[in-house]
Amino acid sequence: MKLIDRYVAEVGKRLALVKGRADIEKELRSTLEDMLEDRAEKAGRPRDEALEIELLKEYGAPDKVAATYNPHPYLIGPRMFPMFIMILKIVIAAVALGLTIATSIQVMKQSPMTIVELLKAIGEWLLNIVSASIGAFGNIALAFAIIERFAPTSEFKVDDDEKWDPASLMKEPEPDDVRPWEPILAIVFIFIALSIFNFNPQWISIYILNDGQWSSFPIFTGAFFRLLPLMNIAWVAEIILNGMLLRSSRWNVSTRLTSIGIKCVQIAILYLLITGPAFLAITPESLQATEIFDADSAQTLGSMVQTGIRIALGLGIFGTLVEIVKAGYKLVTQKPAAAA
Amino acid sequence: MTNTESLENVVLELRRGVIVLAALSQLGTEQYGYSLLKQLADLGLEVDQGTLYPLLRRLEAQGLLESVWKLEEARPRRYYVISAEGKKILPKMKKEWAGIVSVMDKMLA
Repeated sequence: MKLIDRYVAEVGKRLALVKGRADIEKELRSTLEDMLEDRAEKAGRPRDEALEIELLKEYGAPDKVAATYNPHPYLIGPRMFPMFIMILKIVIAAVALGLTIATSIQVMKQSPMTIVELLKAIGEWLLNIVSASIGAFGNIALAFAIIERFAPTSEFKVDDDEKWDPASLMKEPEPDDVRPWEPILAIVFIFIALSIFNFNPQWISIYILNDGQWSSFPIFTGAFFRLLPLMNIAWVAEIILNGMLLRSSRWNVSTRLTSIGIKCVQIAILYLLITGPAFLAITPESLQATEIFDADSAQTLGSMVQTGIRIALGLGIFGTLVEIVKAGYKLVTQKPAAAA
Repeated sequence: MTNTESLENVVLELRRGVIVLAALSQLGTEQYGYSLLKQLADLGLEVDQGTLYPLLRRLEAQGLLESVWKLEEARPRRYYVISAEGKKILPKMKKEWAGIVSVMDKMLA
Protein backbone atom coordinates (compact mmCIF):
# COMPACT_ATOMS: atom_id res chain seq x y z
CA MET A 1 0.00 0.00 0.00
CA LYS A 2 1.37 3.37 -1.01
CA LEU A 3 1.80 6.20 1.48
CA ILE A 4 -0.85 8.21 -0.34
CA ASP A 5 -3.36 5.39 0.10
CA ARG A 6 -2.54 5.17 3.80
CA TYR A 7 -2.82 8.93 4.15
CA VAL A 8 -6.23 8.95 2.43
CA ALA A 9 -7.36 6.10 4.69
CA GLU A 10 -6.23 8.10 7.75
CA VAL A 11 -8.21 11.14 6.62
CA GLY A 12 -11.19 8.86 5.84
CA LYS A 13 -11.15 7.45 9.37
CA ARG A 14 -11.68 10.97 10.69
CA LEU A 15 -14.61 11.52 8.33
CA ALA A 16 -16.58 8.50 9.54
CA LEU A 17 -19.71 10.57 10.22
CA VAL A 18 -19.38 12.96 7.27
CA LYS A 19 -21.72 12.58 4.33
CA GLY A 20 -19.93 11.77 1.04
CA ARG A 21 -16.86 10.31 2.76
CA ALA A 22 -16.04 7.91 -0.13
CA ASP A 23 -16.30 10.79 -2.59
CA ILE A 24 -13.97 12.97 -0.53
CA GLU A 25 -11.43 10.14 -0.27
CA LYS A 26 -11.55 9.53 -4.02
CA GLU A 27 -11.04 13.20 -4.82
CA LEU A 28 -8.25 13.53 -2.25
CA ARG A 29 -6.40 10.54 -3.72
CA SER A 30 -6.79 11.89 -7.25
CA THR A 31 -5.52 15.33 -6.18
CA LEU A 32 -2.51 13.92 -4.36
CA GLU A 33 -1.64 11.78 -7.41
CA ASP A 34 -1.85 14.90 -9.60
CA MET A 35 0.28 16.90 -7.21
CA LEU A 36 2.87 14.14 -6.92
CA GLU A 37 3.14 13.82 -10.69
CA ASP A 38 3.42 17.57 -11.10
CA ARG A 39 6.07 17.82 -8.41
CA ALA A 40 8.12 14.95 -9.86
CA GLU A 41 8.06 16.53 -13.33
CA LYS A 42 9.06 19.98 -12.10
CA ALA A 43 11.85 18.68 -9.87
CA GLY A 44 13.03 16.03 -12.33
CA ARG A 45 12.82 13.46 -9.58
CA PRO A 46 11.29 9.97 -9.52
CA ARG A 47 7.88 9.46 -7.88
CA ASP A 48 9.39 7.75 -4.88
CA GLU A 49 8.55 7.52 -1.21
CA ALA A 50 10.71 10.50 -0.30
CA LEU A 51 8.72 12.72 -2.65
CA GLU A 52 5.45 11.33 -1.28
CA ILE A 53 6.56 12.15 2.28
CA GLU A 54 7.48 15.68 1.21
CA LEU A 55 4.10 16.15 -0.46
CA LEU A 56 2.06 14.72 2.40
CA LYS A 57 3.97 16.80 4.93
CA GLU A 58 3.06 19.89 2.95
CA TYR A 59 -0.57 18.83 2.47
CA GLY A 60 -1.06 18.67 6.21
CA ALA A 61 -1.86 16.32 9.07
CA PRO A 62 -4.91 14.06 8.49
CA ASP A 63 -6.68 15.69 11.45
CA LYS A 64 -6.32 19.13 9.90
CA VAL A 65 -7.40 17.99 6.43
CA ALA A 66 -10.41 16.09 7.78
CA ALA A 67 -11.46 19.10 9.85
CA THR A 68 -11.87 21.21 6.70
CA TYR A 69 -14.60 18.82 5.52
CA ASN A 70 -16.36 18.58 8.85
CA PRO A 71 -19.71 20.33 8.55
CA HIS A 72 -20.08 20.62 12.36
CA PRO A 73 -16.84 21.95 13.78
CA TYR A 74 -18.74 23.35 16.78
CA LEU A 75 -20.38 21.46 19.60
CA ILE A 76 -22.71 24.43 19.98
CA GLY A 77 -22.67 26.75 16.97
CA PRO A 78 -23.11 30.53 16.75
CA ARG A 79 -26.91 30.37 16.25
CA MET A 80 -27.43 28.49 19.54
CA PHE A 81 -24.57 29.90 21.60
CA PRO A 82 -26.29 33.08 22.92
CA MET A 83 -29.27 31.02 24.15
CA PHE A 84 -26.90 28.43 25.65
CA ILE A 85 -25.08 31.11 27.64
CA MET A 86 -28.35 32.73 28.73
CA ILE A 87 -29.85 29.47 30.01
CA LEU A 88 -26.55 28.47 31.62
CA LYS A 89 -26.43 31.74 33.60
CA ILE A 90 -30.05 31.38 34.74
CA VAL A 91 -29.57 27.75 35.72
CA ILE A 92 -26.30 28.27 37.60
CA ALA A 93 -27.90 31.17 39.48
CA ALA A 94 -30.95 28.99 40.26
CA VAL A 95 -28.77 26.12 41.43
CA ALA A 96 -26.77 28.44 43.70
CA LEU A 97 -29.96 30.01 45.07
CA GLY A 98 -31.66 26.65 45.63
CA LEU A 99 -28.66 25.16 47.39
CA THR A 100 -28.21 28.28 49.50
CA ILE A 101 -31.83 28.15 50.66
CA ALA A 102 -31.64 24.42 51.30
CA THR A 103 -28.37 24.73 53.26
CA SER A 104 -29.78 27.61 55.30
CA ILE A 105 -32.78 25.45 56.26
CA GLN A 106 -30.41 22.61 57.14
CA VAL A 107 -28.28 24.91 59.32
CA MET A 108 -31.34 26.33 61.09
CA LYS A 109 -32.65 22.85 61.68
CA GLN A 110 -29.40 21.70 63.28
CA SER A 111 -28.78 24.84 65.32
CA PRO A 112 -27.19 25.46 67.70
CA MET A 113 -24.06 24.34 65.81
CA THR A 114 -20.43 24.38 66.77
CA ILE A 115 -18.00 26.42 64.65
CA VAL A 116 -16.63 23.20 63.16
CA GLU A 117 -20.11 22.01 62.19
CA LEU A 118 -20.91 25.40 60.67
CA LEU A 119 -17.66 25.43 58.66
CA LYS A 120 -18.41 21.88 57.52
CA ALA A 121 -21.90 22.93 56.41
CA ILE A 122 -20.44 25.91 54.48
CA GLY A 123 -17.82 23.65 52.87
CA GLU A 124 -20.50 21.16 51.83
CA TRP A 125 -22.61 24.02 50.49
CA LEU A 126 -19.72 25.23 48.29
CA LEU A 127 -18.92 21.71 47.12
CA ASN A 128 -22.59 21.09 46.31
CA ILE A 129 -22.75 24.31 44.28
CA VAL A 130 -19.62 23.35 42.32
CA SER A 131 -20.73 19.76 41.65
CA ALA A 132 -24.32 20.76 40.82
CA SER A 133 -23.09 23.53 38.50
CA ILE A 134 -20.76 21.12 36.70
CA GLY A 135 -23.63 18.65 36.35
CA ALA A 136 -25.95 21.38 35.10
CA PHE A 137 -23.33 22.58 32.62
CA GLY A 138 -22.90 19.04 31.28
CA ASN A 139 -26.63 18.44 30.93
CA ILE A 140 -27.29 21.77 29.23
CA ALA A 141 -24.29 21.41 26.90
CA LEU A 142 -25.50 17.92 25.93
CA ALA A 143 -29.05 19.13 25.30
CA PHE A 144 -27.83 22.03 23.17
CA ALA A 145 -25.38 19.85 21.24
CA ILE A 146 -28.30 17.57 20.34
CA ILE A 147 -30.46 20.54 19.30
CA GLU A 148 -27.55 21.96 17.29
CA ARG A 149 -27.41 18.83 15.17
CA PHE A 150 -31.06 17.96 14.84
CA ALA A 151 -33.10 21.18 15.10
CA PRO A 152 -34.21 22.60 11.75
CA THR A 153 -32.07 25.50 10.53
CA SER A 154 -35.23 27.63 10.27
CA GLU A 155 -35.55 27.61 14.07
CA PHE A 156 -33.32 29.68 16.36
CA LYS A 157 -32.40 32.02 13.54
CA VAL A 158 -30.92 35.35 14.43
CA ASP A 159 -33.37 38.17 13.63
CA ASP A 160 -33.29 39.13 10.01
CA ASP A 161 -32.80 42.91 9.67
CA GLU A 162 -34.66 43.07 6.35
CA LYS A 163 -37.74 41.35 7.72
CA TRP A 164 -37.80 43.12 11.07
CA ASP A 165 -40.13 46.09 11.16
CA PRO A 166 -39.78 48.65 13.99
CA ALA A 167 -43.55 49.25 13.62
CA SER A 168 -44.04 45.81 15.20
CA LEU A 169 -43.01 47.43 18.50
CA MET A 170 -46.25 49.46 18.43
CA LYS A 171 -48.62 46.51 18.27
CA GLU A 172 -50.56 45.37 21.32
CA PRO A 173 -49.35 42.17 23.01
CA GLU A 174 -50.95 39.09 21.50
CA PRO A 175 -52.15 35.96 23.31
CA ASP A 176 -49.27 33.97 21.81
CA ASP A 177 -46.68 36.39 23.18
CA VAL A 178 -44.61 35.21 26.12
CA ARG A 179 -43.45 37.59 28.86
CA PRO A 180 -39.73 37.01 29.53
CA TRP A 181 -40.09 36.44 33.29
CA GLU A 182 -42.39 33.45 32.77
CA PRO A 183 -39.84 31.10 31.14
CA ILE A 184 -37.05 32.44 33.38
CA LEU A 185 -39.08 31.63 36.48
CA ALA A 186 -39.98 28.21 35.06
CA ILE A 187 -36.31 27.40 34.35
CA VAL A 188 -35.30 28.49 37.85
CA PHE A 189 -37.93 26.33 39.57
CA ILE A 190 -37.32 23.31 37.36
CA PHE A 191 -33.62 23.45 38.16
CA ILE A 192 -34.27 23.76 41.85
CA ALA A 193 -36.49 20.66 41.55
CA LEU A 194 -33.88 18.84 39.43
CA SER A 195 -31.12 19.64 41.93
CA ILE A 196 -33.10 18.64 44.99
CA PHE A 197 -34.68 15.46 43.62
CA ASN A 198 -31.42 14.24 42.07
CA PHE A 199 -28.74 15.40 44.46
CA ASN A 200 -30.44 15.89 47.82
CA PRO A 201 -33.61 13.76 47.92
CA GLN A 202 -33.25 13.51 51.72
CA TRP A 203 -34.36 17.14 51.93
CA ILE A 204 -37.84 16.17 50.73
CA SER A 205 -39.00 15.24 54.18
CA ILE A 206 -41.53 16.27 56.78
CA TYR A 207 -39.81 18.07 59.63
CA ILE A 208 -41.28 17.84 63.10
CA LEU A 209 -40.25 19.79 66.21
CA ASN A 210 -40.92 17.58 69.21
CA ASP A 211 -39.77 18.55 72.71
CA GLY A 212 -37.26 21.04 71.27
CA GLN A 213 -35.74 18.37 68.96
CA TRP A 214 -36.15 18.37 65.19
CA SER A 215 -36.90 15.05 63.57
CA SER A 216 -37.78 14.26 59.96
CA PHE A 217 -39.11 11.46 57.86
CA PRO A 218 -39.06 11.19 54.05
CA ILE A 219 -42.16 11.99 52.03
CA PHE A 220 -41.51 9.70 49.06
CA THR A 221 -40.78 5.96 48.83
CA GLY A 222 -38.40 4.14 46.48
CA ALA A 223 -41.33 3.60 44.07
CA PHE A 224 -41.38 7.35 43.46
CA PHE A 225 -37.64 7.61 42.83
CA ARG A 226 -37.74 4.71 40.35
CA LEU A 227 -39.60 7.12 38.04
CA LEU A 228 -36.97 9.86 38.50
CA PRO A 229 -35.21 9.19 35.13
CA LEU A 230 -38.52 9.76 33.33
CA MET A 231 -39.15 12.91 35.38
CA ASN A 232 -35.64 14.15 34.55
CA ILE A 233 -36.36 13.76 30.83
CA ALA A 234 -39.57 15.78 31.22
CA TRP A 235 -37.77 18.46 33.26
CA VAL A 236 -34.84 18.81 30.84
CA ALA A 237 -37.34 19.01 27.96
CA GLU A 238 -39.23 21.72 29.89
CA ILE A 239 -35.99 23.70 30.32
CA ILE A 240 -35.30 23.47 26.59
CA LEU A 241 -38.90 24.50 25.82
CA ASN A 242 -38.64 27.52 28.12
CA GLY A 243 -35.31 28.43 26.54
CA MET A 244 -36.99 28.35 23.13
CA LEU A 245 -39.85 30.53 24.47
CA LEU A 246 -37.39 32.96 26.01
CA ARG A 247 -35.64 33.33 22.67
CA SER A 248 -38.66 33.54 20.39
CA SER A 249 -40.84 35.46 22.91
CA ARG A 250 -43.96 33.82 21.51
CA TRP A 251 -45.58 30.46 21.07
CA ASN A 252 -45.09 28.91 17.64
CA VAL A 253 -45.68 25.51 16.05
CA SER A 254 -42.40 24.01 17.35
CA THR A 255 -42.90 25.16 20.94
CA ARG A 256 -46.54 24.06 21.03
CA LEU A 257 -45.65 20.61 19.67
CA THR A 258 -42.79 20.31 22.18
CA SER A 259 -45.17 21.35 24.96
CA ILE A 260 -47.74 18.72 23.90
CA GLY A 261 -44.98 16.07 23.83
CA ILE A 262 -43.86 17.00 27.36
CA LYS A 263 -47.44 16.92 28.66
CA CYS A 264 -47.83 13.39 27.24
CA VAL A 265 -44.72 12.33 29.21
CA GLN A 266 -46.18 14.01 32.32
CA ILE A 267 -49.43 12.05 31.91
CA ALA A 268 -47.41 8.83 31.61
CA ILE A 269 -45.59 9.68 34.86
CA LEU A 270 -48.83 10.48 36.68
CA TYR A 271 -50.42 7.27 35.39
CA LEU A 272 -47.44 5.18 36.56
CA LEU A 273 -47.58 6.85 39.98
CA ILE A 274 -51.30 6.15 40.37
CA THR A 275 -51.18 2.54 39.21
CA GLY A 276 -47.84 1.60 40.79
CA PRO A 277 -47.01 0.76 44.40
CA ALA A 278 -47.43 3.41 47.12
CA PHE A 279 -45.07 6.28 46.37
CA LEU A 280 -45.86 8.38 49.46
CA ALA A 281 -44.17 7.36 52.68
CA ILE A 282 -46.93 9.04 54.70
CA THR A 283 -48.63 5.89 55.90
CA PRO A 284 -50.57 5.13 59.12
CA GLU A 285 -47.42 3.39 60.42
CA SER A 286 -45.06 6.30 59.70
CA LEU A 287 -47.50 8.78 61.24
CA GLN A 288 -47.82 6.70 64.36
CA ALA A 289 -44.03 6.49 64.59
CA THR A 290 -43.86 10.28 64.93
CA GLU A 291 -45.58 9.89 68.33
CA ILE A 292 -47.75 12.90 67.50
CA PHE A 293 -50.76 10.87 66.45
CA ASP A 294 -52.47 8.06 68.25
CA ALA A 295 -53.18 4.81 66.39
CA ASP A 296 -56.71 5.76 65.25
CA SER A 297 -55.78 9.25 64.08
CA ALA A 298 -52.68 7.92 62.27
CA GLN A 299 -54.80 5.24 60.55
CA THR A 300 -57.43 7.76 59.42
CA LEU A 301 -54.95 10.43 58.32
CA GLY A 302 -52.61 7.96 56.58
CA SER A 303 -55.47 6.38 54.60
CA MET A 304 -56.81 9.81 53.66
CA VAL A 305 -53.39 10.92 52.39
CA GLN A 306 -52.89 7.73 50.33
CA THR A 307 -56.35 7.98 48.75
CA GLY A 308 -56.29 11.76 48.43
CA ILE A 309 -52.98 11.85 46.56
CA ARG A 310 -54.24 9.35 43.98
CA ILE A 311 -57.40 11.42 43.46
CA ALA A 312 -55.22 14.54 43.11
CA LEU A 313 -53.01 12.81 40.52
CA GLY A 314 -56.13 11.65 38.65
CA LEU A 315 -57.30 15.27 38.55
CA GLY A 316 -53.76 16.17 37.41
CA ILE A 317 -54.10 13.80 34.44
CA PHE A 318 -57.47 15.33 33.59
CA GLY A 319 -56.05 18.86 33.84
CA THR A 320 -53.04 17.96 31.66
CA LEU A 321 -55.38 16.42 29.06
CA VAL A 322 -57.37 19.67 29.01
CA GLU A 323 -54.13 21.60 28.52
CA ILE A 324 -53.16 19.31 25.61
CA VAL A 325 -56.53 19.95 23.97
CA LYS A 326 -56.12 23.70 24.52
CA ALA A 327 -52.58 23.62 23.07
CA GLY A 328 -53.84 21.58 20.10
CA TYR A 329 -56.65 24.11 19.53
CA LYS A 330 -54.21 27.02 19.65
CA LEU A 331 -51.90 25.13 17.31
CA VAL A 332 -54.68 24.94 14.73
CA THR A 333 -56.01 28.45 15.21
CA GLN A 334 -52.82 30.43 15.89
CA LYS A 335 -51.96 33.30 13.59
CA PRO A 336 -48.81 33.01 11.49
CA ALA A 337 -45.81 34.63 13.21
CA ALA A 338 -45.50 38.31 12.46
CA ALA A 339 -42.18 39.63 11.25
CA ALA A 340 -40.17 39.92 14.40
CA MET B 1 -0.42 37.64 18.80
CA THR B 2 2.39 39.43 17.00
CA ASN B 3 1.85 42.13 14.38
CA THR B 4 3.04 39.72 11.66
CA GLU B 5 0.50 37.11 12.76
CA SER B 6 -2.27 39.70 12.84
CA LEU B 7 -1.36 40.84 9.34
CA GLU B 8 -1.28 37.24 8.10
CA ASN B 9 -4.73 36.62 9.57
CA VAL B 10 -6.17 39.75 7.97
CA VAL B 11 -4.67 38.85 4.58
CA LEU B 12 -6.04 35.32 4.95
CA GLU B 13 -9.52 36.68 5.68
CA LEU B 14 -9.32 39.03 2.68
CA ARG B 15 -8.31 36.17 0.37
CA ARG B 16 -10.95 33.86 1.81
CA GLY B 17 -13.60 36.42 0.97
CA VAL B 18 -12.74 36.43 -2.73
CA ILE B 19 -12.22 32.70 -3.31
CA VAL B 20 -15.90 32.01 -4.07
CA LEU B 21 -15.95 34.70 -6.75
CA ALA B 22 -12.56 33.62 -8.09
CA ALA B 23 -13.58 29.96 -8.33
CA LEU B 24 -16.96 30.66 -9.95
CA SER B 25 -15.36 33.03 -12.45
CA GLN B 26 -12.88 30.35 -13.58
CA LEU B 27 -15.35 27.49 -13.85
CA GLY B 28 -17.08 28.61 -17.04
CA THR B 29 -15.32 25.60 -18.53
CA GLU B 30 -15.06 22.42 -16.51
CA GLN B 31 -11.96 21.82 -14.45
CA TYR B 32 -10.87 19.37 -11.80
CA GLY B 33 -9.79 20.66 -8.40
CA TYR B 34 -6.04 20.60 -8.88
CA SER B 35 -6.17 22.24 -12.31
CA LEU B 36 -8.33 25.02 -10.84
CA LEU B 37 -5.88 25.40 -7.96
CA LYS B 38 -2.99 25.77 -10.41
CA GLN B 39 -4.94 28.16 -12.63
CA LEU B 40 -5.77 30.41 -9.69
CA ALA B 41 -2.11 30.31 -8.62
CA ASP B 42 -0.96 31.15 -12.16
CA LEU B 43 -3.30 34.14 -12.10
CA GLY B 44 -1.77 35.26 -8.80
CA LEU B 45 -4.25 33.90 -6.23
CA GLU B 46 -2.62 31.25 -4.08
CA VAL B 47 -5.34 29.18 -2.42
CA ASP B 48 -4.76 26.48 0.13
CA GLN B 49 -6.07 23.10 -1.08
CA GLY B 50 -7.66 22.59 2.33
CA THR B 51 -9.77 25.65 1.62
CA LEU B 52 -10.56 25.06 -2.05
CA TYR B 53 -11.85 21.48 -2.04
CA PRO B 54 -14.37 21.86 0.80
CA LEU B 55 -15.44 25.15 -0.81
CA LEU B 56 -16.11 23.42 -4.14
CA ARG B 57 -18.24 20.82 -2.34
CA ARG B 58 -20.15 23.55 -0.53
CA LEU B 59 -20.80 25.49 -3.74
CA GLU B 60 -22.04 22.30 -5.35
CA ALA B 61 -24.34 21.63 -2.38
CA GLN B 62 -25.68 25.19 -2.80
CA GLY B 63 -26.41 24.47 -6.46
CA LEU B 64 -23.89 26.98 -7.82
CA LEU B 65 -21.64 24.28 -9.29
CA GLU B 66 -22.13 20.89 -10.90
CA SER B 67 -19.63 18.07 -10.89
CA VAL B 68 -18.97 14.84 -12.71
CA TRP B 69 -16.36 12.10 -12.33
CA LYS B 70 -14.27 11.32 -15.43
CA LEU B 71 -11.58 8.70 -15.94
CA GLU B 72 -8.43 10.26 -17.38
CA GLU B 73 -4.90 8.85 -17.57
CA ALA B 74 -6.14 5.83 -15.59
CA ARG B 75 -7.09 8.21 -12.80
CA PRO B 76 -10.60 9.34 -11.84
CA ARG B 77 -10.97 13.11 -11.62
CA ARG B 78 -13.88 15.13 -10.45
CA TYR B 79 -14.67 17.94 -12.85
CA TYR B 80 -16.52 21.02 -11.70
CA VAL B 81 -18.41 23.53 -13.84
CA ILE B 82 -20.63 26.49 -13.02
CA SER B 83 -24.34 25.61 -12.94
CA ALA B 84 -27.25 27.57 -14.43
CA GLU B 85 -27.95 28.98 -10.95
CA GLY B 86 -24.27 29.92 -10.58
CA LYS B 87 -24.36 31.69 -13.95
CA LYS B 88 -27.30 33.77 -12.73
CA ILE B 89 -25.52 34.79 -9.55
CA LEU B 90 -22.04 35.41 -10.98
CA PRO B 91 -22.84 38.79 -12.68
CA LYS B 92 -24.39 40.04 -9.43
CA MET B 93 -21.31 38.98 -7.50
CA LYS B 94 -19.05 40.70 -10.05
CA LYS B 95 -21.09 43.89 -9.69
CA GLU B 96 -20.87 43.68 -5.91
CA TRP B 97 -17.12 43.16 -6.15
CA ALA B 98 -16.71 46.13 -8.49
CA GLY B 99 -18.63 48.25 -5.97
CA ILE B 100 -16.40 47.12 -3.10
CA VAL B 101 -13.24 47.81 -5.12
CA SER B 102 -14.51 51.25 -6.12
CA VAL B 103 -15.35 52.18 -2.53
CA MET B 104 -12.07 50.86 -1.18
CA ASP B 105 -10.11 52.64 -3.93
CA LYS B 106 -11.71 55.91 -2.82
CA MET B 107 -10.97 55.19 0.80
CA LEU B 108 -7.39 54.16 0.24
CA ALA B 109 -6.55 56.87 -2.28
